[in-house]
Amino acid sequence: MDQLTDVLTAISHPSRRAIIAQLANGPARFLDVAKPFDTALNAVTKHLKLLERAGLIEREKRGREVLISFRGEPLREVAGWVHHYERFWNVRLDEFEQYFRDKKKKRGKEKRQ
Amino acid sequence: MSKSTKTIEFKFERTIPAPPGEVYDGWLNPKIPGNPWNMADKLLLNPKVDGFFYWRVKDTPHYGRFTEIERPGRIQHTWMSPNTLGEESMVTVTFQKQGEDTLMTLVHSNLPDTDGGRGHEKGWNYFLEIFPRQFVNGAKGIGIERPT
Repeated sequence: MDQLTDVLTAISHPSRRAIIAQLANGPARFLDVAKPFDTALNAVTKHLKLLERAGLIEREKRGREVLISFRGEPLREVAGWVHHYERFWNVRLDEFEQYFRDKKKKRGKEKRQ
Repeated sequence: MSKSTKTIEFKFERTIPAPPGEVYDGWLNPKIPGNPWNMADKLLLNPKVDGFFYWRVKDTPHYGRFTEIERPGRIQHTWMSPNTLGEESMVTVTFQKQGEDTLMTLVHSNLPDTDGGRGHEKGWNYFLEIFPRQFVNGAKGIGIERPT
């Protein structure tokens, strides 16, 4: 499978998204990752394997401990998957709207002075 | 001639805090940030029915022909660029009065639905809705399910 498919598979499951959310706050040990969940450690291990395959987490040995951390880069590929024009117009229209909001604010200030 | 690819369209809406005439004029004024003409490195713009535009940004050319120009309510033009794969797509922009504001609607239709095209299902919905919420709420108290 290509990385995009791996990433989409990884983020499609609510439990794996919860793990990502947890690790986004900082690296954690395996037991800390598993702690909020009421299930077998084996299930958590399987989730972590899928996240690792997608490149969304990495394990690092520090002394006697193994720390698991979140890597956000593969998510960029998902963002790039969105249609060119969907991104293009959203960016343009946000900027256009902001221009008029700033203009209105400026007018309001001038009226008050 | 039959088209080689399936086409899709995108619709965008924004509420702009200004009357329709001002927003309409702003959309056609290359000096106003946010409209496509503003970002051009090279621009030729003739906004009247059957008038053409050409704009180039970062070596990417865009061409089109205005098909409807109705101040202050509606602008429609064709749109071609390398991203439309040679197909003539259509951009329709409408401006509707909404109290003191303007409801601006932009529809870009007849776009080729390529492999790298439309985001949908898991990926797009995830980015738009679920992912930010996950980070706001954190992981506490979320029950885990068996992997799929």
